Amino acid sequence: MTLSLSRALARTTGRGRERSAAVATGLSLALLTAVLPTPPLAPGLGTPPAAQAEAAKQRPLLRISAIPDQNPEKLNRLYGSVASELSRQLGVPVKYVPLTDYAAAVTAFRTGDLDLVWFGGLTGVQARLQKPNARVLAQRDIDVSFKSIFIANTRSGLKTVRNIDGLRELKGRRFTFGSESSTSGRLMPQYFLAQAGVKLKDFAGGAPGFSGSHDATIALVQSGAYDAGAVNEQVWRASLHNGKANRAKVMAIWKSPGYPDYHWIAQGNLDQRFGKGFTTKLQKAILSWRPSDPQQKVILGLFGAQQFIPASPGEYTRIEQVGREIGKIR
Amino acid sequence: MRPAAPLLPLLPALVLLPVALLLPGLLHGGGWDLLGQFLLAALRPSGDPLVLGSLLGGLGITVGMALLGWATSLLLGVPLGLLSSRLLWRSLAGSELPAELLRRLLAVPRSIHELIWGLLLLQLVGQQPAVAVLAITIPFSALVARVVSDLLDALPERNLQGLLAAGTPAPAALLTALGPPLLPGLISYGGYRLECALRSATLLGVFGLGGLGNELLLTLQSLQFHELWSGLWLLLAVMLALEALVSALRRRWSMPARLALAQRQPVGRSSRELLLVAAALVPLLLGVGRALAVDPAALLHWQALPPLPPGGWQGALALPWLAMVGQTVLLTLVAAALAVGGAPLLLLLVAPWPWGGWLLRLLWALGRLWPPPLTALLLLFVFKPSLLTAALALGFHNLGILGRLLLEGVEAAGPEREEALRCSGSGTRLALLYGRFSGLARAYLAYGAYRADVILRETVVVGMVAGTGLGSQLRESLSAFAFDQLALLLAAYALLTLLGEDLSDRARRALLRA
Repeated sequence: MTLSLSRALARTTGRGRERSAAVATGLSLALLTAVLPTPPLAPGLGTPPAAQAEAAKQRPLLRISAIPDQNPEKLNRLYGSVASELSRQLGVPVKYVPLTDYAAAVTAFRTGDLDLVWFGGLTGVQARLQKPNARVLAQRDIDVSFKSIFIANTRSGLKTVRNIDGLRELKGRRFTFGSESSTSGRLMPQYFLAQAGVKLKDFAGGAPGFSGSHDATIALVQSGAYDAGAVNEQVWRASLHNGKANRAKVMAIWKSPGYPDYHWIAQGNLDQRFGKGFTTKLQKAILSWRPSDPQQKVILGLFGAQQFIPASPGEYTRIEQVGREIGKIR
Repeated sequence: MRPAAPLLPLLPALVLLPVALLLPGLLHGGGWDLLGQFLLAALRPSGDPLVLGSLLGGLGITVGMALLGWATSLLLGVPLGLLSSRLLWRSLAGSELPAELLRRLLAVPRSIHELIWGLLLLQLVGQQPAVAVLAITIPFSALVARVVSDLLDALPERNLQGLLAAGTPAPAALLTALGPPLLPGLISYGGYRLECALRSATLLGVFGLGGLGNELLLTLQSLQFHELWSGLWLLLAVMLALEALVSALRRRWSMPARLALAQRQPVGRSSRELLLVAAALVPLLLGVGRALAVDPAALLHWQALPPLPPGGWQGALALPWLAMVGQTVLLTLVAAALAVGGAPLLLLLVAPWPWGGWLLRLLWALGRLWPPPLTALLLLFVFKPSLLTAALALGFHNLGILGRLLLEGVEAAGPEREEALRCSGSGTRLALLYGRFSGLARAYLAYGAYRADVILRETVVVGMVAGTGLGSQLRESLSAFAFDQLALLLAAYALLTLLGEDLSDRARRALLRA
């Protein structure tokens, strides 16, 4: 565009009197705008670290978050309840910080912007490798042996798969994972596909899709945009239950063997910031949730679990191994 | 054999032949229902106050980020542009060397797309509003610097030499001789940068850096098309209002249009309004900065990157670089040809119908508005993932930008020749082709060459979604925190775009010389 600009010659002349008048008018306008109140626009991670550190000294705020594996409305409902329950149990202000991306959750944990995060298997390992003093606090009862479900559009002609070798049927099909960092929606499905001899470039178009979340995978496969996909078992069941997944249009074709998945990870410095023994208190609070308490029942229901159980880093060595094989951990 | 001048802009449209041949093979049609639902939802956007409230909040953040990024890029870009002007250094210090050095240096920040800057900064300083602003500022200020120095160096030196010969001190002579003629071009370009900043801020949002873009992506991913269209119509309204404002101010202050042939002589009576606007911008920007909680000091809190694995570089070098670079180049060429050739072709096609022009305007506005990764996601409903799918998405976006420019140029060219042709009995299309396109042909193609260079930078954006070229690897490397791979990817991008810039400069000069 420089071409026309450079050709344009201009002769602008400014006259002194006009200029001083303009300055005066400009200044009065400037003052007027400055006194007008401006509404805060940015929620969430708005506070810069310096201000955060300052605020933390006065009244420590526990910032919790989660990998965005489902629709944001559901996440807001779930972690809003978690925040208020933890705040009630621990007596500290708790804030849920919504995130938009799996990798962003790992980064925000490394940079210290988050105190407690609900990670997936892979993102949890990534986070602990980047922040070695982080503490694994708890997992759900269902996370000990979590499963992926391979789903297919009913018009695709794909049939239920009897054993893992049957996944070869997916060669040449349009296939989508969830997020590229998802354990149940990408890492383990890719691992099982590899065991069946299916490489990523065997799919139609020479590459799989990455829908972004489990809900999106179900919607896309159901619509026929993809023939098949891999999702988290718990989200699949919830979708069947609430009618989001239409059995006439989308069906499960294979359930994977179990593997450890989601878990709560806390920063290693919570005791210094919130007082001695805080990390243990936090862990105990999460482990104490039971369906007998109405508020905790809602939380557990949204998590698709009966209760939380203790977890240790050692349980995720297999995830780390698969992560290294696939190149997501290096 | 050389084609006649009016046919020149149509030549790139030849790419439609192979595209038309290949596209049917890529169709899978699985998601026609979805595409239909999406299109129908345009007529019935959601009016839910909760949805609208959240969309308006997002829109506010996007517009705020765009404004701040734009203003800082001008604040940095103009002085940098002056510093990299050969003319300035020659007059003040007697040597062009510092200008040359600074130009080379500024080529690097310019060569990397704002999205990559944003994602990298996210890793370095954590998630905060200042990241998106800085991500826009870095490449934009380098771009502004280049345009400012090009403008300066292209100004005739006669007045300057006269003042210098008369014994005026160099700084005063420079200001007097070059300031006034530089201003109109600078202001015209500055307005255009604001439009670009709005598009960039939307795009950054799609990748999670805050604002409306993210809501657009989430509503698309969860197939909530009514909510999606509420956001799109809002964004369209803001974008069209901004474009109308910028071009109205440009006309009012008699600034040059971007693809103008007729040269108008600007006069200085608008200086009062100019100053007024500049003065009003300062408190506005400060208010926006406060509202967005942008804290520049927070950018200084660097976080250590995660450590690299031993021997990681070999793994990074073993990536299929040749294939990835090849795909990226091919993607650029196809998308650029689609955009450059598509605009005049469509304009010719609809020429006989009075409502056709308005339909095209709407289509192009939507093209500019849509972040290309969202178009790619939509296309994946009915096409297989492929290079062509990505090229269509990228081409559509740039078609919107080029089409608007062409239309402005066509309108500015004046109706005389076209009417003369029509009165002498030629058809509407031929009259448009020979009456208006012929004069514009070379300037338009030259701009197209510049646009191809921009498209090369933008390939990363669709590559990340459609899984092609360097962009797809960038996404994997980012989510694997493989900073060795990222460093190499960045170097590859920089080299490629610097090469592309050089080629497009040559092509542009050749086109304008002839």
